[in-house]
Amino acid sequence: MIPEIGHIFLISAMVFAFAGGVFPAVGIFKKNAFLISAYKPLIISTSIFALLSFLMLVYSFSKDDFSLLYIATNSNTNLPFYYKLAATWGAHEGSLLLWISILCLWSLAYFFKTRQEEDKYRCLTFVVLSQIIFSFISFTIFTSNPFERILPISPVQGVELNPLLQDFAFTIHPPLLYAGYSGLSIPFAIVISALLTNSNKSIWARQARSWTLLSCSFLTLGICLGSWWAYYELGWGGWWFWDPVENVAFVPWLISVALFHSLLVTDKRGFFINWSILLTIMAFASCLLGTFLVRSGILTSVHSFALDPERGVFLLIIFGYFIFSSLAIYALKSNARESNQSYGLYSKEFGLLLNNLLLVILALSILFGTFFPLIYEGVTNGKQISVGAPYYEILILPFAAGLALLQGVALFLGWNTTEDQSFIKRILIETIVIFIVYNILVYVFLGEITAGAFISGLMFCWIVAGNLIDFFVLNLKSSYLYKAIIRRFSVILSHTGTAVLILGVGIVSSYSLENEIKLSKGEIYSFGKYQLSFEDISMFNQKNYESEMAIIGVTDMAGRKMTPMLTEKRFYPSAKQVTSEAAIKSTIFHDLYVTLGDDLGRGDWSFRVQIKPFVRWIWFGAIMIALGTCLASLTSMKRKE
Amino acid sequence: MNPLRKQRIYALIFILVGTLIALFFILNALSRNIDLFYTPTQFQESELGSGVLVRLGGMVEEGSLVRKSQSLEVSFVITDFNHSIKINYSGILPNLFSENTGVVVKGSLDEKDNFQAVEVLAKHDENYMPPEVSKALKIRK
Repeated sequence: MIPEIGHIFLISAMVFAFAGGVFPAVGIFKKNAFLISAYKPLIISTSIFALLSFLMLVYSFSKDDFSLLYIATNSNTNLPFYYKLAATWGAHEGSLLLWISILCLWSLAYFFKTRQEEDKYRCLTFVVLSQIIFSFISFTIFTSNPFERILPISPVQGVELNPLLQDFAFTIHPPLLYAGYSGLSIPFAIVISALLTNSNKSIWARQARSWTLLSCSFLTLGICLGSWWAYYELGWGGWWFWDPVENVAFVPWLISVALFHSLLVTDKRGFFINWSILLTIMAFASCLLGTFLVRSGILTSVHSFALDPERGVFLLIIFGYFIFSSLAIYALKSNARESNQSYGLYSKEFGLLLNNLLLVILALSILFGTFFPLIYEGVTNGKQISVGAPYYEILILPFAAGLALLQGVALFLGWNTTEDQSFIKRILIETIVIFIVYNILVYVFLGEITAGAFISGLMFCWIVAGNLIDFFVLNLKSSYLYKAIIRRFSVILSHTGTAVLILGVGIVSSYSLENEIKLSKGEIYSFGKYQLSFEDISMFNQKNYESEMAIIGVTDMAGRKMTPMLTEKRFYPSAKQVTSEAAIKSTIFHDLYVTLGDDLGRGDWSFRVQIKPFVRWIWFGAIMIALGTCLASLTSMKRKE
Repeated sequence: MNPLRKQRIYALIFILVGTLIALFFILNALSRNIDLFYTPTQFQESELGSGVLVRLGGMVEEGSLVRKSQSLEVSFVITDFNHSIKINYSGILPNLFSENTGVVVKGSLDEKDNFQAVEVLAKHDENYMPPEVSKALKIRK
């Protein structure tokens, strides 16, 4: 009964979304006040019904209703209760419903945040949002309905959630990622509505900027969690694989970062108006692409949901509709006059232009690498290739260097022109000083200075000098230190976060130790500054899996015994799948990472042992970026001029 | 020239130069990092020399997995039911590796014409098969 109610709610939400996407627009066209104001109840009821429908699905999961095909294939009575709830978004159908629900939450948030806005502009924003919601709900209902029943004979036991996904980080990774993806619908709706109503740029640019910042913050957290999950759950110790699905999440991130920087110029100075509009459309397009690619199955990826050509066509239609109509609206309606003033080479405007250039080209070239195998296959009549990770690694370095260079001077550039250019000299000196200290530290603690550590360290020192040291030194003299920091806090935080991330990437990719070894019981293996001993291995039966757990004793250089590490190999009988649980001992400066391998017979086992220096810095930096962008969003929403 | 136009030209030149440099980087990086994908049949037909890194996909033949005792060296045979190739690998096989499932291996032929894999990728869940593999198997049928 409950699933039917959920299904009906979803259909109602679709009807309301359709009405909300059409009637208010007709009202504006016919100048009918009643139809125009209808958008308010329509968007609210759309959202409420969609959210209720999602809750019905969660409830059915909690009750193990295996008469639903989706639940029967993704849950199991032996699954811990918490994972039963999280299994709701464990596969295609439910994750779509989650996407829709989160977009509805965004719409509600935007609704209550903009109560004082002018009606026509606000109304059109919700028309666009309703159309997006409508297309997603109809996609769900017609091609991937989570409420589909298996009748009359329904199974008594479900198949099980993919064991790799039975994990805390995974359960919050999709909601955060989707919050980032679907959140970029808001600036898109704002911009389309602003184009149609010829709104003043001072209104839409600031609004679009705050909502972009907030979505970007969620996107950062979502990607960061995905990376962390892959690191400890997949058992290889890698934190980024340049998998197509990672790429299509990284691309919207890059574009949204470019977007809020460009919108800053549009808002404050009236430049880059057309560029900002196009970027907003691009950001939304890349999000649709990200959402769809995962599901279309056209790219080789570990994330791919099941292939289904019907879905692919449907998605292509949705994608085409939004992108072509928005570009058409842009072509017909954009009469934005860029500000007539000019700006010099040493100005914030020019710096931000470079920033946008670098970010967008990087995004496009990542996209290009992701799609190249498809293009190649088409051109060469079926020859198959894959683009290796080194492509992206070579590619990203010059862009990262350029962006880091800009981040170092970001705080000192002025609008229009920068009169006092003495900062360059000061930052250079400070960079050199801390870079020397850095190199000494690296040499002392890590033994050698590699190219990766050198370059990333240089970027790190430059950004830190520009954002922290010089800024403090400069402002210490004035009595405005406190005020200056508060005003720039979000910028300093996120730019420093990038520096931390860059350093982490540089060090972990050049100083990681990895070895695959064979150990017999009682054998001791010295690795880095640790002595590892294979103490014991035993078998356990858990609720929904069998586990083989090895105990590894750890002794550090000084001969102190540390708490032993436990690494497992789990077998999930209902999913017929094996997973590894890595044992990770982490400190701020490095992780010791041990994974249990195969049984080699006669009591011998293989192990993969790794030392990952500074790996935590990557996620820590990402969290700083997320906090910084979130803070920037909140302050810009609060500020009214 | 008025300053506005001058500035526009600067911006344009910058964008053009930037794009060109980027394009150079991209194509250069791309040309060096493409791995060709072969099925065992295509691989035999191509008669590649030793040392060329390729990706090879197919099913693991039943009963072909041999582990050298007391070491991490393994060998197995992958097949597209037309041709088979023996693969040597040293290291831990992925959790999802098993006989009669699809795998993709990355590696090259050594001087003695043995295929040495540097990486073995297995399917990610029990329903998943690398699209290249399923496509290759379909073509055969």
